[in-house]
Amino acid sequence: MRAYQDMVFTTAARLLGNDAQAEDIAQEVFLRAYAHFGQLRNSPTSGGWLKTVATNLALNHLQRYRRRWRLFSEISSGDDARDPEPPAQDSPLAELGAQQQQALLEDAIRTLPADQRTALVLYHFEELTYQEISGRLGASLAKIKTDIRRARMALLPLLQSRIER
Amino acid sequence: MNQTDDADQELARRLDRALHELPLRHAPPTLESRVFGELARRVALPWWRQSFACWPGYARTLFFAICVALNGMVFAGGAWIVAGAGSMPAWHQASAVAAAAAALSGSMVRAIPPAWFYEGAAVAAVLYALLFALGATAYRTLWVDLRELP
Repeated sequence: MRAYQDMVFTTAARLLGNDAQAEDIAQEVFLRAYAHFGQLRNSPTSGGWLKTVATNLALNHLQRYRRRWRLFSEISSGDDARDPEPPAQDSPLAELGAQQQQALLEDAIRTLPADQRTALVLYHFEELTYQEISGRLGASLAKIKTDIRRARMALLPLLQSRIER
Repeated sequence: MNQTDDADQELARRLDRALHELPLRHAPPTLESRVFGELARRVALPWWRQSFACWPGYARTLFFAICVALNGMVFAGGAWIVAGAGSMPAWHQASAVAAAAAALSGSMVRAIPPAWFYEGAAVAAVLYALLFALGATAYRTLWVDLRELP
């Protein structure tokens, strides 16, 4: 468990953007792993199994609570969710150390709107395609592409500061 | 358009590189104790409060037998009630009341002008749209807070 707990927790936390819920999901993942302990104990794919279960449980958790809001979310995304403003040029981020920048990037992912964060994490961390994300989240392909693009634009200031270094 | 696509792809590449450089986050120190605590709690539960798959074989067999018996009793009881009800005076009275109510409602429906139905449907549609708009407005007003909910 100790070998995988950071990976499982990180997977859930990045998708959910909430540490307390991520801990709940991680607990459930390890309880399920215990139920399959005989199969997983010597399996070389146990890490992948844990990551997949963590991803699925986190997505189920998100969808369970968001289903009722999806319709309005799709309606409001047309005009409310504008592209973020361009980053400020005098950002002090470049003066921060690498660890602090990584912490800022992690924090920026956490504070993204949930739709954008989930799509971004599935694309960049879980390496799913746009079509796969669309299928998993039950959203249109255009919405997924827009969400990911907006999330990238929101993180752009942090990337610029990394390059400035 | 091509320049925009190129810029998007470049941003995606840079972001991908930056995200993959992120270290794993540390799991809370309480996670391990929570997992083992929950395992201990589940193990301590009596068998009838655990999942059905964990029940002893004899208990599962007995459970199935009781379910089958209950099903049989429900079907037999239903058949007995239906067969016996036809000969009861109360059944005839109830049937007569139901027939009278059906006849009354039928004559009322025929007496209402068809235009009233269309107007009623239009009013219902307008009310539905109004309710939908209220819901959408409430969502959009509160969305800033709600979007952070799970």
